Amino acid sequence: MEQRTRSPYPRLDRPTLAFVGALLILSCVLFFASDRAHDWRYYQDEFRREVGEKFGADETVPGGIQQIWVPGLRRADRCVTCHQATSWKGFERADEPFRTHPVEPLKLHPVEKFGCTSCHGGQGWAVDVADAHGEIAHWEEPLLSRWLGESYSLAGNKGALIQMNCNLCHRYDRETKGADAINLAKRLVEEKGCRACHTINNRGGHIGPDLTRVGEKAPEQYDYTRLSGQRTAFAWHVAHFKDPRALSAGSVMPNFNFSSEQAQALSMLVLSWRPADVPAEFLSGAPRTDTPTPEQAADEERMRSGPGGWFVQTGCFVCHSLSVFGVKSPAQIGPDLSNAVEDVQSRFGRTIDDFLREPSGTMAVVLSRQIILSPAQKEIAVTKLREAFAEYQKQRDAARAKSKRP
Amino acid sequence: MASLAKLFRSDAPSAPGVRPTRLWSYRPKSDREAGDAITSNFLLHWFPAKVSKASMAWSYSFWLGTATAALFLLTILSGLPLLLLYVPSVERAYQSVKDIEYVITFGRWLRGVHRIAAHGMVILVVLHLARVFFTGAYKNGIGRNQHREWNWVIGVVMLLLTLFLSFTGYLLPWDQLAFWAVTVGTNIASSIPWIGPSVRELLIGGRAIEQATLLRFYVLHIVFLPAALGVLFAYHMWRVRKDGGLARADREELAEVARVAAPSATKTYTLLGVARGTAPAVTARTLAAPDTTVNAVPDLARRAMIVTLATIAVISILAVFIRSPLEEPANALVTPNPAKAPWYFLWLQEVVTDTTVHLGPITINGAFIGGVLLPGALITLLTIWPWLDRSSRAVTGLWFPAARRTQNLVFILVLLAIVVLTFVGMELRGPYWDFYWPWEAWPAVPTRI
Repeated sequence: MEQRTRSPYPRLDRPTLAFVGALLILSCVLFFASDRAHDWRYYQDEFRREVGEKFGADETVPGGIQQIWVPGLRRADRCVTCHQATSWKGFERADEPFRTHPVEPLKLHPVEKFGCTSCHGGQGWAVDVADAHGEIAHWEEPLLSRWLGESYSLAGNKGALIQMNCNLCHRYDRETKGADAINLAKRLVEEKGCRACHTINNRGGHIGPDLTRVGEKAPEQYDYTRLSGQRTAFAWHVAHFKDPRALSAGSVMPNFNFSSEQAQALSMLVLSWRPADVPAEFLSGAPRTDTPTPEQAADEERMRSGPGGWFVQTGCFVCHSLSVFGVKSPAQIGPDLSNAVEDVQSRFGRTIDDFLREPSGTMAVVLSRQIILSPAQKEIAVTKLREAFAEYQKQRDAARAKSKRP
Repeated sequence: MASLAKLFRSDAPSAPGVRPTRLWSYRPKSDREAGDAITSNFLLHWFPAKVSKASMAWSYSFWLGTATAALFLLTILSGLPLLLLYVPSVERAYQSVKDIEYVITFGRWLRGVHRIAAHGMVILVVLHLARVFFTGAYKNGIGRNQHREWNWVIGVVMLLLTLFLSFTGYLLPWDQLAFWAVTVGTNIASSIPWIGPSVRELLIGGRAIEQATLLRFYVLHIVFLPAALGVLFAYHMWRVRKDGGLARADREELAEVARVAAPSATKTYTLLGVARGTAPAVTARTLAAPDTTVNAVPDLARRAMIVTLATIAVISILAVFIRSPLEEPANALVTPNPAKAPWYFLWLQEVVTDTTVHLGPITINGAFIGGVLLPGALITLLTIWPWLDRSSRAVTGLWFPAARRTQNLVFILVLLAIVVLTFVGMELRGPYWDFYWPWEAWPAVPTRI
């Protein structure tokens, strides 16, 4: 056999190899430990202990990662891994995560069918606290919790944000039980006549943007340059509802002087207007159309056949009443047109003929985008407005005479 | 159990011509066993029997190639379980990565190891290439049939394959980071004159990054590119042996040749009477001067083991502490601001920006300069450099020799420029690719609620 060469290496290399071996053992310990260190293991131990104290050792609590899998909604919600008490009776007053879920909403929305995140938001895939509650970067659907409501200083019910998710399926309901903020906002939409300018659920005007799917607009697509404070789509809408022109310069949207509660409710409503990619069985029973109520339809028909019918046909009545002819605008955004002849003169210093020929301000936008009138139609408008003014003067004089009479 | 014991037993009965054991003995008791140890030992087919002490030195090679190979091994080992967990479909890829992150046992660690090893491989391949350049290790010494220049070319190809492997893996999570990095990357490719758009279409399997792209990148990532890299790696190793080991080993030979004019005696061999010649690695000097060499087993094997295991340990520990990013699901309609290429292409994206010049109504698009001209020229230069380098072979295997001062300096400057531009692209470029100092905060990214 050939003689081995004398080697200087083993003396230093063997301890080095031993050190590397120790490093490998350390790495194994570390990655085993990191996999064991999930939050849910702690919460499950805690819950097992609480159940043991309350109901004795006979009750078994399932261990390991639990999930509710809803293939129809493509959700695997692992919330119940920590929130194990949701379906247990007897934890109604316990602190989260060990509180029993209120029974009432679950009657119509059984958790096996709807999962958790379809209503509550949050990240069902995750099993660690921050990740699951969605309070992390790159997760766009945080838990719609009371705490989030408090961070927005919601004026009414602090837990109202969850109602946005109610309205994904209940968007065509006129009223949804338990969704007070959304119901308030829906009433405001009718009262303030948003449809005068905006198309909502495929019905309405074209002066403002179509709002049917406004909720799916990405947060990056808003212009935040004039918004101070939180840079979120929700904050943007709240600020915009309070003062449209402050956020979007040159907007013709009127300032409705909404209260904080109203602006917040409306923001929740518009953010909920996004395509809900859910199978029909999950939608509410309401007809999936948004037609005027029978009373609204009857009112409109009556006004259409009256002396002010022309203004109803043309669409002026959407914003303007014409009280002398019995036309009552549902929205009443603009001034009553009964005395338009003198009103235009006093506001703009121009005659009604001149103003209609070359309108300014909001009417310039309305008459170029929504109600396009030919010169002949404008002639008719002026004639009709003069007739209305004559009627207005007659009624005014009569009223004056009546008031002067002792 | 009995058969297992037999496998390791060295005194098992044997017939003539049949080896008594299947495994080799670490401490052979007879010449027969020693011979068996050589013929059945994979390491001895990979490594030479003897290796020069000089090329064993930590401070010569820093063992960068070995560490790179260890990282390649690690990406394969961590990639195999990921193959069973990841679903290459646009509907489910993102979700399956979430599951790997959150609920698969050791999933987060596996993904971390795979990702960090892949990024580390890019860094180490470049460092290895720089080491070979600085030591002029692509130059041939005095051995016969040395073709180190071709091994250098193979190395450059392997660098490109490593980048492409990493790039194809980048898309797989199908999140915004992946989608837009690949968008930027493939847009750079489409700036090649004439054929650019076709190259992009070939790369992404259509005109938009969609299911076809994901599948294409996936198959490239798990089959074709690793296979190609594996084959080239084997060839790379084989060439190192054929070329007489590391270039450093030639140093002593060259010094000797410089002193003794007469050619030294060499050990000749014949193989089955067909091939005959002089083995380049086993010259008379190495045999005559055992002081300058050591046995590859155990000394070289032990060091290779140290480097490999240390690499695995370091990556494994890093993977526990560094979380792999996963952004929002890919959305072709919303461009994140800023949209950045993978970090190793950021120097190119930076060059593209810096060479895009607006002169009034005329815009000179930097995509051609930064995306094609510059990388093309650099790769070409790098590939043919062994033939352009006219320095004496006497400086082979020497760090920063005076004879190669200028080219080493230029190489350092180019490398430094790439590092600086990469840093600028990674850290100092914010929304709209605007420049931000590290102490300047970027505008907050808006969220839905």
